[in-house]
Amino acid sequence: MKQFSILMQKEWRENIRNYKIYWVPAIFILLGITEPVVNFFLPQILESSGGLPEGAVFEFPTPPPEQILTAVMEQFQTIGLAVLILAYMGTVAGERKSGTATLLYVRPLSFPAYFLSKWVMASAISLVSVWVGFLAGYYYTLLFFDRVEGMELFQMVGTYSIWVLLIVSIIVAASAAMPNGGLAAAVAFAIYLILQLTDGLFGAAWSISPVKLPQYAAAWLADSPDSGSLAGAIGITALIILALLVFGSWISWKNKAKTKV
Amino acid sequence: MSILVVEKLTKRYGQESAVEDLSFVLEKETATALIGPNGAGKTTSLSMLADLLSPSSGKITVAKGLTIGFLPQYPQFFPWLTALEFTEMAAKLSGIESKKARLQASRTLGFVGLESAMNKKTGTFSGGMKQRLGLAQAIVHQPKLLLLDEPISALDPTGRREIMDLLKALQQDTTILYSTHILNDAEEMTDQLLFMKGGRLIEQGSLNDVKNRHASPHIRIRFTNPYQAAEFAGRLTWEREIKGAVVFLPVYKNGPSMQQVLEVLASEKQDILGVDYQTASLEDIFLKVVAAK
Amino acid sequence: MDQTTLVLALLPILIIQLALMIFALVDLIKNPNPNGPKWMWAVLIVVINIIGPILYFVIGRRNY
Repeated sequence: MKQFSILMQKEWRENIRNYKIYWVPAIFILLGITEPVVNFFLPQILESSGGLPEGAVFEFPTPPPEQILTAVMEQFQTIGLAVLILAYMGTVAGERKSGTATLLYVRPLSFPAYFLSKWVMASAISLVSVWVGFLAGYYYTLLFFDRVEGMELFQMVGTYSIWVLLIVSIIVAASAAMPNGGLAAAVAFAIYLILQLTDGLFGAAWSISPVKLPQYAAAWLADSPDSGSLAGAIGITALIILALLVFGSWISWKNKAKTKV
Repeated sequence: MSILVVEKLTKRYGQESAVEDLSFVLEKETATALIGPNGAGKTTSLSMLADLLSPSSGKITVAKGLTIGFLPQYPQFFPWLTALEFTEMAAKLSGIESKKARLQASRTLGFVGLESAMNKKTGTFSGGMKQRLGLAQAIVHQPKLLLLDEPISALDPTGRREIMDLLKALQQDTTILYSTHILNDAEEMTDQLLFMKGGRLIEQGSLNDVKNRHASPHIRIRFTNPYQAAEFAGRLTWEREIKGAVVFLPVYKNGPSMQQVLEVLASEKQDILGVDYQTASLEDIFLKVVAAK
Repeated sequence: MDQTTLVLALLPILIIQLALMIFALVDLIKNPNPNGPKWMWAVLIVVINIIGPILYFVIGRRNY
């Protein structure tokens, strides 16, 4: 516990001093803003660009605000995910590769505390980024379109946050397992694709699959997801995260010989 | 009292063996120099002792409660931390109480000569400053055993002198094992020599042992010409060696003392250029031993 | 869309853009060893809104 707080302080300083604590949320805010803004200005852009045939009259239906926020979440699922991978692929692997980890590893270091400090910091910044991103999206949707129930937004973001934690756990564990950041990114991305693919192909009946969490998150905006399925999916996800934490601590210890001396 | 015993330590990577059958003992508060050409297995050996690498076979036994400080050859620091922040963190991770850690860190930085750079980011440090900071993090928790990989090789002569003096001061109450290829410095601070080549220990012992074994001191007599040297040496009963106008007389075993030699020269009224003692430098011995095995 | 809405819409973007630009420029000035020429990064940070500073943080700054 004592080592954990020492290492947390180190992570905190690192993320402030390399500006990650600013630019990761900034990208999510940008993503959150883009969707409502583009949807709002799209009709005007199309009209003024003159790409429409002479005399054609198009009725652009105003999309419901729920649809805009779901689209924001889809942005997070693609670009947002790539940003998180980019930001944290090197969190353990980079330290070993550059050799900065060596002077930590030669001390009586608690590897669970070490891995956990990495995970907590990456999770905290990722969650805050997702939250302010949704908040920005919500603000612009309110401005240009219509109100979404605050409670519904809260439930959606809460459910989606569990999914984000799973993604971050995969990224940080991959960073601990792989020899460099690039390979960690490749592995994290491959795992993500395999999860999506497996669920897409065979998972129609797997109601408690973690991959369905984003769907359940979006479902809060329509009515509400099936509470049993949601609880099951959250439970499974929590177990997987726990397993990843144990694996990450172990593989960090196992890989300590790979630090550059 | 021995604080660390290494028995048949071996590290293999596939078929390649980086360290093979290494055995030695470190006595309390002594200095041991690990000497060898590049690729001899020095860094691998030190990494195993620092518990960074696990040996393929063999055993390392340490005294109970032994604390270790380690300085890698090229220490790397988190560039966004200041020297004080880093050293304080290192102290805390090594078990120094949080309250004392900052004071201990700033004292140690003062000791290695980084007082004025304490609050600068390590990313701005020069090579020499990094080496000093590396030493600071290795000693901040006052370890009983210091493992130093080429602690002075990257420094200029002034820096080398200063760090050597710091190490000698530390050596009063710390056991030091350091690798080096600068043999003059090794000669200055060593109770035990370990010569490594190709992953194996090829010679070990105290400086005197090793010198006596491989290059005992000689008395050197320089005559004015080779005929005089040959004529003089021909009449001697001692073991001798003639090189041109110079005669070498080994002083070990049944060799002569300086006084005996001077008496002979004086009684014969030999015309000579000079007589002196010749001791081989560690470098000479090292080259000889490495070439031989 | 009325004037107030437009201002409300643009203000946060403007603030983020300005903040990122200032952070990036200040860091660039202090950076002894950026990944690429300094003037190029200065131009990118100022000219490309939002993306410029982020590119600098991700690719350009290196840890120093």
